[in-house]
Amino acid sequence: MADQPKNEPPAAPEATPPATPQRAEGRSSGPPRREGGYGGGGGGPRREGGPPGGGSGGPGGPRRGKRQFFRKKKVCRFCVEHVDFIDYKKAELLQAFVQDRGKILPRRMTGTCSRHQRWLGEAIKRARNIALMPFATEL
Amino acid sequence: MEERLYDLIFICRPATPEEDVNKIVATLEHSATEHGGKVDKVERWGTRRLAYRVAKHREGFYVYLVVRGTKADMIKELERRLKVADPVIKYQTIRLDEELKRQSKLARHRERRAGRRPRKPAAAPQAPPAAEQAAPAN
Repeated sequence: MADQPKNEPPAAPEATPPATPQRAEGRSSGPPRREGGYGGGGGGPRREGGPPGGGSGGPGGPRRGKRQFFRKKKVCRFCVEHVDFIDYKKAELLQAFVQDRGKILPRRMTGTCSRHQRWLGEAIKRARNIALMPFATEL
Repeated sequence: MEERLYDLIFICRPATPEEDVNKIVATLEHSATEHGGKVDKVERWGTRRLAYRVAKHREGFYVYLVVRGTKADMIKELERRLKVADPVIKYQTIRLDEELKRQSKLARHRERRAGRRPRKPAAAPQAPPAAEQAAPAN
């Protein structure tokens, strides 16, 4: 391997020596480019269907069109119940809006409206400060 | 000055005897009245599991107070007392009056809208349930 490139570059630079580096480079840089392409493509539908997009990003194109038909419109839970103030003391209620590790879930996952998401985030942060909710779960 | 409403929560070490907790609450009430304020409500939530370790404790005795007052010095003094108190491992004060004001404003707004709705024939059946839902939410 090492001898071939050293001997042949002057004679045939296009044939064998570049072939090995190209393959190596192709393996390292090729797949990320493809993933980037999928990610960019996924950027469009992410607005509406975030969670399923993350799971089935691989199949890509054909499914993406179908998904729009099955998507259910999410409704803000707090708007339905006419909540005007999200109580930071109700940790059990807030628990539904964080991930297992304690991260606040984005709006696109829970369907909360922007106003209630703002209040919700505030309530979760208050609850965290007084040890009613975790900043990050210890494992 | 306008009266302000605060939520005050503090956490004691789980091994704290009941009398010590009562003593702390009493001193807080005393210093609140001294500064022209008032403790509206005292709730003892009891020993609860903490979401994370605080001062090497995994559990804590929660006490919840609702305080109202006009002077900012009052909260300063209450927090100083909590800071000095030995059994207290964590405390938090939150000003709530503005949020409650916003809440009542939104509720009023909704009631007015619900009252207006029956004029339209299509929306009439929807109005009564909306009004009923609004009541328990508050």
